[in-house]
Amino acid sequence: MKERKLLFVTQFEELWFDALQSLMDLRKSGFNHVVFLHVIERDKVAMHRGKGYLKGEETKLREIANIRFIDWAESLFEQGMEVGAYIVVGNPLPKIISTAGDEGVDLIVTGHHKRGKVEELYAGSETVDILRRTSTPVLVYKYMLPSGKINERPFERPILAMDWSPASERAVNYLINFKEIVKEVVVVNVVSDKEIKGASAMDIQATRKNNRQRLDEVCDIFRNEGIEADSHLYIGDTCGEIEKAAQEREATMIVAGATGKSGLKEIFMGSVAKKLANNSAFPTLLVPANIKSEIN
Amino acid sequence: MSKKVLTVDDDPDIIAFVKTVLEENGYDPLIARNGEVGLDLARKEKPDLVILDVLMPKQSGIRMYRELRADQSLKDTPVIILSGIAKRTFLRSQEALTEFGDQPVPEPDLYIEKPVEPDELAETIKTFIG
Repeated sequence: MKERKLLFVTQFEELWFDALQSLMDLRKSGFNHVVFLHVIERDKVAMHRGKGYLKGEETKLREIANIRFIDWAESLFEQGMEVGAYIVVGNPLPKIISTAGDEGVDLIVTGHHKRGKVEELYAGSETVDILRRTSTPVLVYKYMLPSGKINERPFERPILAMDWSPASERAVNYLINFKEIVKEVVVVNVVSDKEIKGASAMDIQATRKNNRQRLDEVCDIFRNEGIEADSHLYIGDTCGEIEKAAQEREATMIVAGATGKSGLKEIFMGSVAKKLANNSAFPTLLVPANIKSEIN
Repeated sequence: MSKKVLTVDDDPDIIAFVKTVLEENGYDPLIARNGEVGLDLARKEKPDLVILDVLMPKQSGIRMYRELRADQSLKDTPVIILSGIAKRTFLRSQEALTEFGDQPVPEPDLYIEKPVEPDELAETIKTFIG
């Protein structure tokens, strides 16, 4: 099996070692190489009036991160894994992109924050920015389930939100890469209120039938790979219904394609990917339209 | 001709420190910032000694060490591990890789946990390559 790399981005505020440990099931799918990335935000060490560049502060922050990474790395090395680490100063977004590119990672794992400067990176729009600028899927990881328990096997029962876009079609292929750890995929499609506004009962029934058929075809793809699959059709607000479906079906993760909308459209309309990254209580795996890892 | 010492470490402060020690003691320093580049440089330059960190980007010292020991032209080159990672971890990781089917490798010639004093480092290098 090809050795795959995971980029674990942490600001030591949301994602700790127990979060990484809960992802160790990924080893069964070849993820045997973990690369840590900690970005010291520039404004924490940048020029301050009368003080200049805070070199001492940078050294302190670097060493704190280094001590933590050494401790984490020791645990992984002892399990026979390969580990690398980057501690860099700068703006998180370009550093994530460049590190993912330099290392050729297969999956980027980030946390989700909603406060202070860190929000600029971890809020949903920045996750979408990563997806626009890289072909690597991004897992916005929330390792505590809504029940309060640690999500020990996030890939065990993913819910896959299909909207028939190229990105969601590719999410199907990407998910197959994890067939060693995925027990069942729940494939859902949400028919939005907008789609049925003003439609006749016949039209609505036709939409339902057509989407059910397409969902069944996706299930067959998974079954052919030895993965159990089940499909459900929802109707209403897309993100709300996906979240509801994840709760109803006891999902361990939400998987969705991230379509590359233009910046302006993104700002005014938002996107499903952004809303899921921001608001979902579940880990959210977002797959860009052009992904790096297709089926081997 | 000066003896060549390859230092593989991603920490610029450590590189500067080791380079100074090497130059002051008459050695020819070669520098690489990760295991991948380090291995290429080792194969090209055939250093007399390798000083190797463990936790690095691209390829760790653990994997690079295995590659060095598997390379016929480099397998006898002395290697000093200079790292913040504990020696116990290094040895356990090598055991784990062997259990997964890789060839067993001997222990490194010396393992020093960071930090190291300049005099200690210079003396240690001298004992290996004179």
